[in-house]
Amino acid sequence: MPSKRPPWLWIGLAGVVLVALIAAVVASSGGSTAKAAPGVEETRPVTVTGNPLPALPDSGTDPAIGQVAPTLTGATFDGTPLTIGNDGKAKLVLFVAHWCPHCQREVPLLVTYLKSHTLPAGVELLTVATATNASQPNYPPSTWLQKAGWTAPVLADSADGTAAAAYGLPGFPYLVGLDASGKVVGRITGEFTTDTFASLAQAVAGG
Amino acid sequence: MQGMDTETVTLFLALLAVVAQVAVLVCLLLFVTGHRRQVADAIGPQALALAACVAVVATLGSLYFSEVAHFTPCKLCWYQRIAMYPLAPMLVIAAVRRDLGIRLYAAVLAAIGAVIATYHVVLERYPTLESTVCDPANPCTLIWVKRFGYLTIPGMALSGFALILVLLAVARPEEP
Repeated sequence: MPSKRPPWLWIGLAGVVLVALIAAVVASSGGSTAKAAPGVEETRPVTVTGNPLPALPDSGTDPAIGQVAPTLTGATFDGTPLTIGNDGKAKLVLFVAHWCPHCQREVPLLVTYLKSHTLPAGVELLTVATATNASQPNYPPSTWLQKAGWTAPVLADSADGTAAAAYGLPGFPYLVGLDASGKVVGRITGEFTTDTFASLAQAVAGG
Repeated sequence: MQGMDTETVTLFLALLAVVAQVAVLVCLLLFVTGHRRQVADAIGPQALALAACVAVVATLGSLYFSEVAHFTPCKLCWYQRIAMYPLAPMLVIAAVRRDLGIRLYAAVLAAIGAVIATYHVVLERYPTLESTVCDPANPCTLIWVKRFGYLTIPGMALSGFALILVLLAVARPEEP
């Protein structure tokens, strides 16, 4: 038996759906997608010289301790050549992925810390933007890091993560400490506190 | 062009999710103020068909996100899909046959989906709940879509599951 009453419920529902559809079309038309500045590339080729580091195990002793890290030769987002390698300086190398929520929490934490603290003498902080993927959230990494106030040099990793693989990256974020002779002092993965960051910085300075 | 289309569809689905949330809140408010019977009288006979629409839209939306927009579903997304996808054909068939016996089966599936979606929303809000490391592959904490400052894909799924549960609660046979 068909209902005698007009189907107000369905007419109303169709109206709501139509309004939502029109609102979606109107609101998203003319919206511009984020465009990078000219000359900026989010991924760049990276050349690896030397032996890659073994992957950081979940637990136990890190087999990479004492091993000389390979040299990474590439460029920053804007194309300035950047080499992360055996240059006689102790360094901290931070690997971040733009889409990773843990990296999105870690970066501002470090930015705030670095505003009021200086790294030990002779220690430099370098960054690798890796796992870059235009179809994933918070793209592009160059804009993200710039907006976050990140001032350390950033090496743009290749699209297939050459630098990350050479450093045995297990997850994001990933921090590797190298002493002045380029040997691994410590490796940390996952969110870390600024205290942990400071003590690794101290450890690489003393090495 | 592809980007704009994804943007439009995402916003459309997000708006539908907001409509679902409003409907759920209004119904729950009417339930707790003792007006459940009036709600059932008003929409009860159409409730199964409405629930079927919600499940079909949620399923198509989910497939759009993974197959057209290429957002990779994570483990928790898959568990929610396991709960939502069967609801689409089940509720359509039940609505056509006016088979109210579906209510218990569908409610159990929708409740399981709602619980997983709730956990997923909480995990997105507090990514350190499970781990502080991002799996390079496809972590569940990765937020593909966020609209109106709060609505993510599992949030949309939760809206769908909640609305299906409310509709199943008021589904009534057609007046003779």
